[in-house]
Amino acid sequence: MKLATTLRFYFALWLGKAILLVSRLAGKTGTTLPGAVALKIYPELLARLSGGLPRGAIVVTGTNGKTTTSNLLAEVLRRAGMTLTFNRAGANLVTGITSAFLEASRWDGRNLSHLALLEVDEAAMAKVIPLVKPQTVVITNFFRDQLDRYGELDKTVALVKDTINTHLPDARLVLNADDPLVAQIGANREGVVYYGVAPTDYDLSGNSQSREAKFCSFCGHAYEYELYHYGQLGIYICPGCGFKRPAPDVLADEVQIRGTGGVSFSLGGTEINLQHQGFYSVYNALAAAAAALGLGMGMDHIKAALDGFTPEAGRMEQFVLGIHRVTLSLVKNPTGFNEVIRAMIHGERPLGLLIAINDNAADGRDVSWLWDVDFEQLVEKTGFVVCSGLRAEDMAVRLKYAGLETEKLYVIKDLAQALNKLAAKLEAGQSGYVLPTYTALFPTRQLMSAARSKAYAS
Amino acid sequence: MRLKICHLYPDLMDLYGDRGNIISLVQRCRWRGIEAEVGLISLDQQLDFRDWDILFLGGGSDREQGLLYEDLCRRRENLLSAIEDGLPVLGICGGLQLLGKYYQTSMGDRIPGVDILDLWTVAGSKRMIGNMCIEADFLPDGSHGKQNTLVGFENHSGQTFLGKVEPLGRVVKGFGNNGKDGMEGVHYKNVFGTYLHGPLLPKNPHFADLLLSLALERRWGKRELKVLDDNLELAAHTYMVNRLKQQ
Repeated sequence: MKLATTLRFYFALWLGKAILLVSRLAGKTGTTLPGAVALKIYPELLARLSGGLPRGAIVVTGTNGKTTTSNLLAEVLRRAGMTLTFNRAGANLVTGITSAFLEASRWDGRNLSHLALLEVDEAAMAKVIPLVKPQTVVITNFFRDQLDRYGELDKTVALVKDTINTHLPDARLVLNADDPLVAQIGANREGVVYYGVAPTDYDLSGNSQSREAKFCSFCGHAYEYELYHYGQLGIYICPGCGFKRPAPDVLADEVQIRGTGGVSFSLGGTEINLQHQGFYSVYNALAAAAAALGLGMGMDHIKAALDGFTPEAGRMEQFVLGIHRVTLSLVKNPTGFNEVIRAMIHGERPLGLLIAINDNAADGRDVSWLWDVDFEQLVEKTGFVVCSGLRAEDMAVRLKYAGLETEKLYVIKDLAQALNKLAAKLEAGQSGYVLPTYTALFPTRQLMSAARSKAYAS
Repeated sequence: MRLKICHLYPDLMDLYGDRGNIISLVQRCRWRGIEAEVGLISLDQQLDFRDWDILFLGGGSDREQGLLYEDLCRRRENLLSAIEDGLPVLGICGGLQLLGKYYQTSMGDRIPGVDILDLWTVAGSKRMIGNMCIEADFLPDGSHGKQNTLVGFENHSGQTFLGKVEPLGRVVKGFGNNGKDGMEGVHYKNVFGTYLHGPLLPKNPHFADLLLSLALERRWGKRELKVLDDNLELAAHTYMVNRLKQQ
């Protein structure tokens, strides 16, 4: 390396690390700025910092479940004694990933982690992959999400597939067999591990949810489904060209949803008991388990990590609001919202809800996705809904057209006042849920935590 | 009275919650005691446009628009005669583009449209994305007074240009047909084409009611629509109008 290049490298590294340190001292998480500045000075920084780890890198991508899958996998790996370079939730673009490497690298540029575990935004794959060159790529699923930023889903899937085939011809792929959009990426490749779910008591033969991937990626013919687990995930075959759901190498069998008590399933004879709610949690755990098995981790570490893991912030998290127990869950796209609805109506009790819809960049500027959510299913069990956030009115209109009486709807844009309304309206015997989009999640969570500590103080 | 709404290619053209437009039409009929029937018609299915009271065409991805193009062309003469007879049509995004003369790809190839409306679309390099507000003078005064704005969300890279045909309205905020001439959408007889998703009709209830009035009048003669409580819908509408005007 030429002297000038070496100097630029260290200058970028040190400045990046210094900014990281200062922002930490200032109490900020500092997830993108250090990486952004360091890359301006030395664009090859990420490629250099990510090369040379003894066990390489694993990338987790897809629409839903990236964060949970990465956290579960990290837990397995840590239990097996590995040290990780790991990016924080949401910091999944080039700058955030660079910041993670800046943090993990010492001032002399060495990184002592065994491997890097990186959650990568599906739309950032084309930028990140040529730089990081992972040995393993885990793909969770592809659903419509924030289409206004990404263009259409087909393009995102094609871009991910092209990127992997161009830059990673030999990488191990860990793919969701039940999602045809994900499974087709493994066609004609060696070294693919498929994971999937066996038929369960909760499967559907057909419903009104709008589904992606109705048509075969190879020949355009409509898929035929033996059953649906949720969204387009299920057991399918293309009658046109014969492409079908690959036989899973890692299979979840005997799936049981336990109301508020989580989900259990059998993984090759080992019973796994997740504390996470919702059917989709099985897929997150399976993806993490399949990746861990591929890295040679033992089933004892996998079971311990999956069983012991508590859901992260805003994923079916329990709070006390006034005298009521309420559940907080992030909603960000139709499939995720439909799964939350499925979990809510699974319980016996009538529902009192607060739904907070923002349309900032991180939420997606377009709120039309609310019309692809099956709120119609919710109407019968719902006592009232407080609509909040920047697009509270749009949410209320959606619920009105789903059939909810307008007397049961409250539009209160301010989050604190909306939470007060929820606390005042909730009755004993009702289940309370708070469902914010991404940028409404953290303010809501803060308000609820503050309310809890105030309740304890008094 | 039974209003028949045809949702054409619902399995292919269903981006951005456009099915909300169908939900809006159906509910606004039901709340008035008018029966509404929705027909989901896709590739190769039997269809005579003259049997229907409203036709809806949503937007799809490029691949899906390609799949249905031949099918729609086979139905051209039948569709044209229904349109000339006054069939109310709402075409959104891809639905608007398909009714025109051609779509020119970035490679310069021209994919012919069904050529019912005098307009054409040229692929652009920049995606036109964001909330949009337009003023449309054809909208009649509603039960809530003068209400000539429409709001929604546009998301397209195709730039549409109009020949001898009227636009739907003037852009107040946003890009519109092509980001250049300040016009949005198309209006020919009872055909309304636009780039406004959102979905459009739920938060523009005055426009939903105009479509219903046109459909009822064509089949059963002029009728007064029962006035509905649109406070929530108009709150969503007004919020976006004000937010865009302040930008």
